Amino acid sequence: MDCSYFRERINQFIDGELGYLEVAELQGHLSFCADCAAELAQMSEVRGALAAWGRVELAPPPGFAERVTAAAELEPLPGAARPYGRAVEDALDKLDETLGRIPLPGGRTIPVKNVIGWGLAAAAVVIGLERRHLRRSRELNPS
Amino acid sequence: MATSNVHKWAALPDPSPAELARAAEGDAQAFTLIVERYQGMVYSVAFNVLGNHTDAEDAAQEAFLRCYRKLPQFRSEAAFSTWLFRLALTASVDYQRRERRRPEPVEAPDLVDEGSPDLGDGVTAAALTSALHDLPADYRVPTVLRDIYGLPYQEIADVTGRPLGTVKVMVHRGRASLRLRLRAQGVRPAAVPAGARPGSDV
Repeated sequence: MDCSYFRERINQFIDGELGYLEVAELQGHLSFCADCAAELAQMSEVRGALAAWGRVELAPPPGFAERVTAAAELEPLPGAARPYGRAVEDALDKLDETLGRIPLPGGRTIPVKNVIGWGLAAAAVVIGLERRHLRRSRELNPS
Repeated sequence: MATSNVHKWAALPDPSPAELARAAEGDAQAFTLIVERYQGMVYSVAFNVLGNHTDAEDAAQEAFLRCYRKLPQFRSEAAFSTWLFRLALTASVDYQRRERRRPEPVEAPDLVDEGSPDLGDGVTAAALTSALHDLPADYRVPTVLRDIYGLPYQEIADVTGRPLGTVKVMVHRGRASLRLRLRAQGVRPAAVPAGARPGSDV
């Protein structure tokens, strides 16, 4: 028989999303379908194991806290003045969170947006010099 | 399970308003105390979402830097640990979304104390984490958020930027895939006790 309908119901039951009548319907199916009954039991085991795992604390690598605090020292003070206004600063923070940061030696990091900004500034300077060079060339050789 | 592994940070009181105020003003010592106290929690969240130590360390560091930047915005209506936990989750999910093209080597977690805790029904931590991190990230991340951290589906949709229906399907497939992977690893399939029927506690 096609149990796909009840497999979906099993997940909804585990999530507590079924009403009384739907639970009764599932219960009726499980009373004669050993495969679905086994699926529910095993799903419950997996979910129980995941919940138990969530209560286990993992050990960070040695020196982690020191690297974090060293990186924080390179940040502007959290309460520092916001020269560009809060909306602009929040937008820049969001850009940082989206683009990420590039790790440097010694646990330091640098925002990707800063690197992009420097790249754009360098490109603007190169383009400006190139245009100036072309203009001078035309002035010297008008033909 | 070794109880000493369980949420060491949860047994500690939240930092006092005075400590938080000092950290929010840039006091390095006050911020160091916060990092030392919560590093296990933040790192655990990052490892469970990302599945390897290198990415977990980067994401956990990013979570603490976001905490440092946003400390002046923290309002004490919520517990500090809850606020930091959300920062850790979003930093880890953002990291996973940003780096999703990179290969993801699966590594064993380092527990705070020795031993591989039994998670019940014969499932060991080693078997579970191996199965979990073998899952494609599209299944693993929503499954971790739902079944390890108990987030509502709508919140998972918000954090991951995916539609609600898609998130539900991914969690359901993640659970089914985990079940099969654990069985493939030799974890004994459950018998079907009468108590597993709907109407009893699951």
